[in-house]
Amino acid sequence: MLEIRDLRVHIDGHEIIHIDELDLPAGTRLGLVGESGSGKTMTATAIAGLLPNEAKASGTVRFDGQDLLELNDAEFSKIRGKRIGFVFQDPARALNPMMRIGRQVSESIRLHTNLKRRAVNDKVLELLDQVQLPDPAALVRRYPHQLSGGQQQRVLIAAAIATDPELLIADEPTTALDVTVQEEILQLLISLSEQRNMSVLFVSHDLGVIRFVCDRVAVIYGGHVVETGCVEHVVSDPRHRYTAALLAANPGMPKDDDFASFMGQRLHTIPGHVPAVGKFPGGCRFRNRCEHASASCAEAPMPVTLGDGHRYSCWHPDGES
Amino acid sequence: MAIADVDDMYFHYPRASLGAGDEGWTLCDISLAVHAGTTLGIVGESGSGKSTLIRVMCGLLHHQRGTVRFDGRDVGDFRGEDSKELRRKNQIVFQNPRRSLDPRMTIRRSLSEPMRALQGRRPDDDELIVSLEKVGLGREVLPRFPHQLSGGQLQRVGIARSLSVDPTILYADEPVSSLDVSVQAQVLNLLMDLRDELGLTLVMVSHDLGVVSRMCEEIIVMRNGRIVEAGRTDVVLTRPESSYTAALLVAARAASL
Repeated sequence: MLEIRDLRVHIDGHEIIHIDELDLPAGTRLGLVGESGSGKTMTATAIAGLLPNEAKASGTVRFDGQDLLELNDAEFSKIRGKRIGFVFQDPARALNPMMRIGRQVSESIRLHTNLKRRAVNDKVLELLDQVQLPDPAALVRRYPHQLSGGQQQRVLIAAAIATDPELLIADEPTTALDVTVQEEILQLLISLSEQRNMSVLFVSHDLGVIRFVCDRVAVIYGGHVVETGCVEHVVSDPRHRYTAALLAANPGMPKDDDFASFMGQRLHTIPGHVPAVGKFPGGCRFRNRCEHASASCAEAPMPVTLGDGHRYSCWHPDGES
Repeated sequence: MAIADVDDMYFHYPRASLGAGDEGWTLCDISLAVHAGTTLGIVGESGSGKSTLIRVMCGLLHHQRGTVRFDGRDVGDFRGEDSKELRRKNQIVFQNPRRSLDPRMTIRRSLSEPMRALQGRRPDDDELIVSLEKVGLGREVLPRFPHQLSGGQLQRVGIARSLSVDPTILYADEPVSSLDVSVQAQVLNLLMDLRDELGLTLVMVSHDLGVVSRMCEEIIVMRNGRIVEAGRTDVVLTRPESSYTAALLVAARAASL
């Protein structure tokens, strides 16, 4: 469905993204994980053709056989919003506060199809029902502020899937939501992806959320994929030191319900902070924050492939020292 | 000893239309005690009244029924100069540091404000640097504006600002939920260290049960303005009595590592 080869994004002469190889087969869910500034959202933005003007992308992003990077704006807008849908982080900001729900959900249907008004209306009701919102007939007349955060995010998902996209890009879709609502929305995304054989590119800083939703994960740092593979493999047997550090920093929940010994346990932190654009070190980009870095890390590590597509690039992988 | 306690407290916002029973009330029948030197976690969904509750306890909002006491004294009795003392001893760190710091003020000015407003004094740079160092920042941030700092640095400034007036209770209202996982870890560790070093009493509002079960000895679970369950965190989370607490646990486990 989606094949990325040698994707590079440059801004002001700095190469901020370089992704050698990343695939998203039809009907699967891939997570992009990293800290703010690691390049995960920029990667999703490059795939969506929504890069800012000063950014230049090269390489190939093949979507259903077609190279998205070769399309002009007019050609891309036939795909974006139709065959590729989007859900963003803050639903209250992504919805137009002045527009009724029905109109917002139907916007892409009206833009991309020739359906008659009645058919559009029926489709909207069906979509709202599919995202499990109660009383769709009354809901279409409401405004965003009359809905809770979780309901707003369901509306956005309904709008994103309105044109039956083959790929859904979701950028931190539940970060602004409560934990119970978060679980419901994630569950909804999983079941929609399964029912419709829709691929999902899921961007998040939280590996727990990614493990819940995705089949595969790509850990991004400094615009590079430092480790990728099956979510379960990567989470249970991380190799790259950055992946291991991200896992250790996650507050998580105690194992085996052992709340008593969980109390007061400090979290592992990653030293320093993500450098600004153009300030990453050469070689392994994580080396200036890595507790295991040595002189050899000044050279870019070669990718190592384990079984089942688990791949990482690290000179001092976890579990081997 | 309870440093703060609440008894049968009810609160509604102005112009709420009150009806039969709970209708219109934001907080109903709240009773709790905060013990000196301990950490209390308040969990529950958006709209359950967590943030309103801590604002009532700090005297920023006024309840209509019941009692709210700080250090054995009714919060309503802190008037005039005394009310400054109540606010000084009850400090809040807010969720979004980018919104809670004035974008047009330098960090130097933002950081001096509580001391100026609540203690009527002007701190010099040396004193400000001491409070910045407590939270792992240095002199170089003083002349900066909020937009020049990262989210994690800003939240550290927020904490330094609250601690600058030597509070008895530090309330943290979702202090890390707008931060990245790696920065969350730094800020949570910092709060644990400060609590241990300064003997602070900490009241932490969070929807993250992982965070609460790591940091808080006691927990209160809220829903629709009421406390549905309270007690020792390990006991409540190991054997929840309320079905709502059990549901929160299921949701928290689903998307955690």
